[in-house]
Amino acid sequence: MEKNITLSVKDLKKEIGKREIIKGLTFDLREGEVFGFLGPNGAGKTTTIRMLVGLIKPTSGSVRICGFNLEDHFQDAMKNLGCIVENPELYPYLSGYNNLLHFARMLEGIGEKRIKEVTELVGLTERIHDKVKTYSLGMRQRLGIAQALLGEPKVLILDEPTNGLDPAGIREMRQFIRYLAEKEGLSVLVSSHLLSEIQLLCDRVAIISRGTIIRVDTVEHLLANRERVVWRISPFEKGKQLLSSLTPIEVKEDGTILTEFNEQKTPEWNRQLVEAGVSVTEINRKMPVLEELFLELTGGDTIE
Amino acid sequence: MICLNKNVIRSITVIAVFFCLVWLIGLGWAVGEYYAGKPENIPQTNTVSDKVENKKGLTIVALGDSLTRGTGDETGKGYVGVLIDEIKEKTKRPVQLTNLGINGQTSTQLSKQVQQTEIGRQIEKADMVLVTIGGNDLFRGGQGLADFETGDVAAIEKKYLDNLKFILEEIRKNNRNANVFFIGLYNPFIDLDQGKEMSKVVRHWNYDSAEVSAAFPKIVFVPTFDLFELKVNDYLYSDKFHPNTKGYRLIAERVASLLTW
Amino acid sequence: MNKLIQNEMMKLIAKKRLIVIALIIGVLVTLFTYAQYKQVQTQREKLGTSDWRTILQQQIIDTTNRLSSSRMQDEWKKQLQISLKQQQYYLDHDINPAEPGAPTFMRIFLENSIDLFLPLMVMVIASDLVSSEHSLGSIKLLLTRPIKRWKVLLSKYITLCLAVSLVVAITGILSYLISGIVFGFKGWGAPILTGFNVTETGLNTSEVKLLSLWKFLLMDFGLVWFVSIVVGTLSFMLSVLIRSTAAGMGVMLAALISGAILTNMVSSWETAKYLFMVNLRLTDYMKGTAPPIEGMNLSFSIMILFVWWAAALFVSFFVFTKKDVY
Repeated sequence: MEKNITLSVKDLKKEIGKREIIKGLTFDLREGEVFGFLGPNGAGKTTTIRMLVGLIKPTSGSVRICGFNLEDHFQDAMKNLGCIVENPELYPYLSGYNNLLHFARMLEGIGEKRIKEVTELVGLTERIHDKVKTYSLGMRQRLGIAQALLGEPKVLILDEPTNGLDPAGIREMRQFIRYLAEKEGLSVLVSSHLLSEIQLLCDRVAIISRGTIIRVDTVEHLLANRERVVWRISPFEKGKQLLSSLTPIEVKEDGTILTEFNEQKTPEWNRQLVEAGVSVTEINRKMPVLEELFLELTGGDTIE
Repeated sequence: MICLNKNVIRSITVIAVFFCLVWLIGLGWAVGEYYAGKPENIPQTNTVSDKVENKKGLTIVALGDSLTRGTGDETGKGYVGVLIDEIKEKTKRPVQLTNLGINGQTSTQLSKQVQQTEIGRQIEKADMVLVTIGGNDLFRGGQGLADFETGDVAAIEKKYLDNLKFILEEIRKNNRNANVFFIGLYNPFIDLDQGKEMSKVVRHWNYDSAEVSAAFPKIVFVPTFDLFELKVNDYLYSDKFHPNTKGYRLIAERVASLLTW
Repeated sequence: MNKLIQNEMMKLIAKKRLIVIALIIGVLVTLFTYAQYKQVQTQREKLGTSDWRTILQQQIIDTTNRLSSSRMQDEWKKQLQISLKQQQYYLDHDINPAEPGAPTFMRIFLENSIDLFLPLMVMVIASDLVSSEHSLGSIKLLLTRPIKRWKVLLSKYITLCLAVSLVVAITGILSYLISGIVFGFKGWGAPILTGFNVTETGLNTSEVKLLSLWKFLLMDFGLVWFVSIVVGTLSFMLSVLIRSTAAGMGVMLAALISGAILTNMVSSWETAKYLFMVNLRLTDYMKGTAPPIEGMNLSFSIMILFVWWAAALFVSFFVFTKKDVY
């Protein structure tokens, strides 16, 4: 069964002066889905996100949140949206609680009960009455999420949510986002310039470059046939000959060999190598890097 | 965090709203009053509330023209200032001086000035009154030199004497007891070609002035003509009209010699 | 709306700007009180009396003599003549123009702070109201709520008006309390004259009215408040237009200071009267001193300030609701 579309973007364009920054984006978000927005810095991610949340007025095109057109029904649309654009810039001179109170007052029917709920949800109950300027970056990020969740939104938009977090914080954030999507049924749009992050977090990905979406697909599809295996073998020549008879290979300068990754075949190749008396010192699955993916998708169009 | 208590914010807001309204009323009132407000007839007071000050020292009032002001004296004191210094030294009492001299004042202007309520009050509480007047009537800033021979002088003097009489009457009316020293004129042009003729006019002027003052009790005419008769230029300021510091000192010493306690 | 204003008040109070301003006003009032006290003292010593009539009479004579000096600028001469006539009027009607006491001090303090000091204080609050959200980045959170942008800005503007009212009130209360310690707290009922009209020929006293000082003060406060609101609104506009608080303050500061300088020299540049900063001294019309440019009067100045106010407000709202936020 197709799930409901919560965020729908159609032919979104933005011109600044005569320059077209965003050249017509179209995509949809569904309930319970984590949608990745992947592109290098300068590709137009931030501009697009700001158009989605109403900070920038698009030159043409439409954004619908839960069926409400953002331009015509700003209030109804925004009621269903929670967001953090870039870093969560809260008021450092207020306590965490007062920050939440501040934003709760800007929503209808959100009271102290909900503030308590979201505080617990992001695990800030102990420090909530301290001033925000005493918070660590991770805590600020969590408080940012808390304020985004205050209004019980259907759609959550997070711009680079793991920016500046330590590895533990990143993992925590990832789990939390997955939890929100799977258990609470939110649609989450996450932007990032890190492929690894998107890969671990998202169900579907849009790859954006120079203001256009190059491709929208599930992560599996996107990465299918793009994973590589790194082989380190000796004796080198013998192994190389054997491998190249099985599959196309690529020899690297550092004395390793790259082949494609295939779940069934890779162990088989390994077995054959070992049986032929070639010792395999290293087999490593290697994710494609964003740059390579881009090179491939855009056909040599480089990232600035 | 006490200052962020909800009630604190609310009460500050309420106070702010209250003041906002108060100031708005003030603004409206100001504009309304500025245009719609009817002028009131405020009575001019002729009798001053006689709040008698507890006087500690001598009160001296100086009336008149630039000589009273001290124009030409580099120290700025004038004969009044020098005289006050001497009195202070002699009597060891504090002296309160009210110098009402105005540059270029003529007898006509002075007769108007003495009619003012406040001037009257000042004279009333004075222990001593000093007056210089007439110089601007006669010399008219040097113009008198050119046309003194015409018959106009007689008319001018006539008017001056009437004014003088009126002024002295006013002073006496306000204050029966104070000693009044009326300083006579000197001839600043005595060294010029027509100096001799001019001197004659000044002498005559002084004589008539002395006659007028003699009619009042305790009004002393103080001659200065002789002080400036010799070496007039040593005692004149660079404008060759007003006395200089030395000149004022001469006048002050003469007045001082007349004081009795 | 109520909740939005509560938010803004909360931020305003948390930033402690009002306390800082209260401190500055307190220090300044103390200095002023001391200066005033010293002035009275030296005057008393010089003239050997504390009788205001004698002092005023002496001032009149001094002014008259200054006027007789021929090397005086016509403008200056005219102003002196007006103040001379006014002083004489006070004397003739046996009214002390500066009845000793805290209320008179308040009046003098207000008259002296209306064109520079209070606008500066107001500017400190106003110029940071919107631009601080920009520099902090919180504007992005503020504008992604289900609330129309104009409402957000309106709540900020109302907060500004409330803050201005508070600043004016703080000025009044502090100047009363501090100067009262030195000059005494009485004198609310002292008479004061208003309604002097400055015309081409000089001072017209035909419409002079007698007021109690407290009424006069209330009007003065109203005018001071109006000026502060206008200056606040202009700073507010700059705060919307310019993202940096410091730059906004700089522009406003330049305007205010140029206004203070211009008032002293614009008499021959007639169109300068349409600038807001030469129209700030509204209390002078109440007191009856000569305006910086001929033909200016209270309604003219209020009109000019009103036009500037309306324009600034319009620009603020127009830009704020249309602007893309990066």
